[in-house]
Amino acid sequence: MKTKTTLQTRREFLRTSVLGAAATWTLPVFLEKTFFALDAMAASAATQIVTGKDGTILVVLQLAGGNDGLNTVVPYADDAYHRARPRLALRDEQILKIDNHVGLNPKLTGLKALYDEGHLAIIQGVGYPNPNRSHFRSTEIWQTASDASRNETHGWLGRYFDNCCSGVDPTVGVAIGEEMPQAFVAKNPTGITFSRPEQFRWRASEPGKGHLTAEEHFFRQLNGSDEEITAAANNGASIGVLPGKATSELSTVEFLQRTALNAQLSSDKILAIARKYKSTVAYPQGQFASSLNIIARMIAGGLATRVYYASHGGFDTHAGQINTHTRLIGQFNDAVSAFVADLKQQGNFERVLLMTFSEFGRRVAENANGGTDHGAAAPMFIIGGTVKAGLLGQYPSLVDLDRGDLKFNIDFRSVYGTVLDKWLKARSEVVLGRNFPVLAIV
Amino acid sequence: MLAPLPSQRWNRQTAGHLLNRAAFGGTPAEIEATCKKGVAAAVRELVNVSADAAQVPPPSWAKPRNIRAERTQIRMAKGQGQNSKEKQRAIQTMEGENLLDLRRWWLDRMMNGPAPLLEKMTLFWHGHFATSAQKVRDAYWMWLQNDTLRRDALGSFPVLVKKISRDPAMMIYLDLQQNRKEHPNENWARELMELFTVGIGNYTEDDIRAAARAFTGYHIDYATQQFRFAPRQQDLGMKTFMGHSGPLNGDNIINILIQKPACAQFIARKLWLFFVEDEPLQETIDLLADRIRAHNFEMRPVLRELFSSAEFYSERALGMQIKSPVQFIVQTTRLLQTQLPSPMVAQNAMRQMGQILFAPPNVKGWDGNKAWITTSTLFFRYNFANYLINGDAMLPSRALVHANVPDPAFRPAVQRQQLAEQIKRPPIDIRKIVPEELRDKPRELIDLLSARFFPKQLSEKETNTFVEFLDARTPDTGDATMRELVHLMMSTTQFQMV
Repeated sequence: MKTKTTLQTRREFLRTSVLGAAATWTLPVFLEKTFFALDAMAASAATQIVTGKDGTILVVLQLAGGNDGLNTVVPYADDAYHRARPRLALRDEQILKIDNHVGLNPKLTGLKALYDEGHLAIIQGVGYPNPNRSHFRSTEIWQTASDASRNETHGWLGRYFDNCCSGVDPTVGVAIGEEMPQAFVAKNPTGITFSRPEQFRWRASEPGKGHLTAEEHFFRQLNGSDEEITAAANNGASIGVLPGKATSELSTVEFLQRTALNAQLSSDKILAIARKYKSTVAYPQGQFASSLNIIARMIAGGLATRVYYASHGGFDTHAGQINTHTRLIGQFNDAVSAFVADLKQQGNFERVLLMTFSEFGRRVAENANGGTDHGAAAPMFIIGGTVKAGLLGQYPSLVDLDRGDLKFNIDFRSVYGTVLDKWLKARSEVVLGRNFPVLAIV
Repeated sequence: MLAPLPSQRWNRQTAGHLLNRAAFGGTPAEIEATCKKGVAAAVRELVNVSADAAQVPPPSWAKPRNIRAERTQIRMAKGQGQNSKEKQRAIQTMEGENLLDLRRWWLDRMMNGPAPLLEKMTLFWHGHFATSAQKVRDAYWMWLQNDTLRRDALGSFPVLVKKISRDPAMMIYLDLQQNRKEHPNENWARELMELFTVGIGNYTEDDIRAAARAFTGYHIDYATQQFRFAPRQQDLGMKTFMGHSGPLNGDNIINILIQKPACAQFIARKLWLFFVEDEPLQETIDLLADRIRAHNFEMRPVLRELFSSAEFYSERALGMQIKSPVQFIVQTTRLLQTQLPSPMVAQNAMRQMGQILFAPPNVKGWDGNKAWITTSTLFFRYNFANYLINGDAMLPSRALVHANVPDPAFRPAVQRQQLAEQIKRPPIDIRKIVPEELRDKPRELIDLLSARFFPKQLSEKETNTFVEFLDARTPDTGDATMRELVHLMMSTTQFQMV
C-alpha cells in the first residue's frame, strides 16, 4: 500500500517537475551492483528463506560490566564460597536450591519456576582460555567469538548475517538501544538499532496528511530508497548481501549510505507493528523490561528478525555489591518473567530462545569494599519453550583457581556453536571458524 | 617531522576544515575571515589561548559542600525516626538540576566561548579520562574535573595525568579512594595503563597489582570535597613495576609509564583519530609520536604542528569524519545562526544520539566515528535538525509531552508543564541564511547553501536533486519551503560528515 502512494506521488512529481528524471545519485555503486545481482538471485532462489516471521528466533541479553556468577548461580554447599565471601555470601536458607550443591539467587524466582517447568538450562563455568580481565577486551572477545590472542573486527552475529542470511532484509538483526553491539558488526552492515519503535521514522517539516509529501519523496530518494529498491526488498530480495567477492571494508561514506538505506527500509514495518501490537502482559519498570517488551511486540508483529539483542549495564560491582547486585538481578528476573509470560500468551514461546551472557564473572574472594573485582568463568542461562532444561557442566572449583578466579569448563563458543547449529540451523563452523563441542541445550 | 601544508593549498575549503576540526565549525563569513589570515596565523590564533581563557568562572552553584556533615545529619534523622528520604531526594534533585546546568554551561562555551580549541581539547580529554556522573553523582565534582581538564588541556600530559589521579570524580569513578594498603583495588591501576597511557598489551597483570599498591593513600575529604593524601594508608613496601623496583608511589608509576614508547604512540593515535581520520597510517602515527616526545608531551606545540601539517588537510581527512553528537548540536546551531535548544532538549538529544556530556557509556569513553551512526541515531539526527530549523511546530501537537520522555504517565503534571515550556521553540530566521534575491534562483541558492552545510562540494547529480525539489515547489518560495529545503539538505548522509 505504501508503494502505491509513493508511485502516485512520484507520478505527481514527474508531472510538476521540469527535470523529470529523478537522479539516483545517493544510490552508490556498491548498491547498484547489488541491485543487478538481485534478479539473478531471485531467479535462482529455489528454497524459501527462514525468517523470524515463522522460524526460530534468538534473543541475546547482555549483562554488561561483569555479572557476579557466584552470587547468581550459588555454590551454597561449598564451604570455600562462604570462606571467600564473609560479607557477600548469600545465606543458605534464602537460596532457591537446584540440587544439593548449587542454587539460584533468591531474587531469581521466575527463573527457578522456569527451571522447574523445564524451560531453563543453566550452563556452569563458561569462559575461554587465557581470560582477559579488561571489560572492553573481554567484551570484544565475547562479541567477536575470537581467541583471546586474536583481534577480530566482525561480530559473531555479523558473520552469521554475512554468511547465512542471504536474501533477507536488514531487520534480520535488531538491537534495542542507540548503540550497535559489536556482535552485529558485519562486512555488510545488516541489522538495525532503535530504542523506541514509535519514533523510528523520519519526520517531514510539513507532517503528511495520509500521503507522502513531496519532501518525503525527496527524502527517500536522498537516502537511497525510492520505490524500486523498497519494492525489491519487500519481495524478499536481498539488499543485505554484496555480490561477488567484496572483501574490503566499507568506507565511512558507504557505511553511512547503507545505514540510511536500512533505516528507511525498516522504518515503515516497525512503525506498523508498533502501532498494531501492544502487550497485554504487565511489564515492570526499567531498561531490561522495556527492551524485552519491545522485542515481544516485534515478535508478535511478525518482523522478519532472527536475532534480537538487548543490553543492560551496571554489573561492575567493585564496591557495595550486595544492594546493587540484588536490585539488578531482581530487575532481570522480573523482566524475563514478564517476557516469557508474554511469549506464552502469543503462542511464540516455542520459537524463541533467550541467551544471557556477561563479559566475565567476578573474583571468588570479596574485596575490602564489600565488592568483587574482575574475574573469569561464569554461568550462562538459556531459556525457551523447547530448550532442554537442566544443569550443564561442572561448577568450577572454588579452591583450584587461576589468579583468584574460577577456571572455565565450557568454552562460550560451544554455546554459540550449539545455538547456531541446532537453533538457527546455520553452519557454526563457517561463523566461528572451527567446530566446538555441541551441548545438549536444544 | 610532519610536512607543513603548502601555502597554495590554503583556501576556503582547508580553512573551513581547520574550523570544523579544531573548533566547532564556521559560518561562511567566519571561514572567509580565517582564510584571509593565512594558515600560520589562523592556527596560531586557535592554539595560543591566553591563560585567562582557561580560567573560566564556574556556574554559580559549583561550590564544595560539607558532604560528611550532610550524611551525618541524614543518618541522625534516620536514627531519630524522622523522614530522611526526603532530604536525600532533595539532594538528588539538586544534583540533577546542577548537572543539567553544567551541560548547558559547557555547550554554551563551545558555542560562544572565546577559545573553541580549548573546549575541543577539553572534550578530547573528557573522552580520554572518561568519567560518568552516573557513578560520581555530584555535579560539583564533575565541574571540578572539567575545570582541571580545561586548565591543562593544552599543557603537559604527564602533569594532567597526575592531576587526574588526584581528581575526586575520577577517584570515585575508578574506586581509587577505596584503595587501601591492606586491600588494594585494581580498577584505577588497570585503566591508567589500558586506557590512559600505554594501551592494552603493554603491561602484565603483575604490573597492575604493583601499581594498585603504589596508588594507596589517595583519599577524598568529604568535608571539603577535595583530594587528601593519607600517609598512613600508603603502602611504602617494595614493588616491582615494569622492571623498576623500589618503594614506588603513584607519581613514580606515572613517570615510568610516560617514558614507555607505547605511551607517545597511544596518545598520538588517539589525537589523530579525534582530530583527523578514522584509519590512520602507521607511519603518520609514528611521526606524531616522535613529535610528542620531542615536545615532552606538551600539547600546545604538538597541536600547532598537527594543524599546520599537509596530512591534516589531506584528501583522506577532508570531510571524511562523522560528526560527534556534540559537534552535530553545536555546529548545526552555528550554521543555522540560531540559539542552542533548551538545556533539557539538548540533554535529551545528546542521550538519543549517544553522547551525553559528563556521562560517557564507560571508562573507555566514546568509540566515535562509525560507532556514532546506527539506524536509530541517524533518524534522530535528521529529526533533530528538523526541530532546530522548524521549532516545536514540527512535533505533532500531542507530542509536546511525549516527544522526549519515555513514560509521561509517571511524571507529575508540574514537570510535564515545565517540559512543555522547555520544548517550545520558534522556527529559525531563514533570512539570515537565504538571501531574498536568490529565492527564485534554485541553482545559485543550492550552491550557496551547499557551501555552508557540506564540507565537500556536491556532485552535479547531488545538486540537481535539491534543485528539483525547489522546481517542484515553484512558484512557492516562502519561508516554510526554504526551511523545508534546509531540512532536506540536513537529512542526508553528507551532512553527517565533517
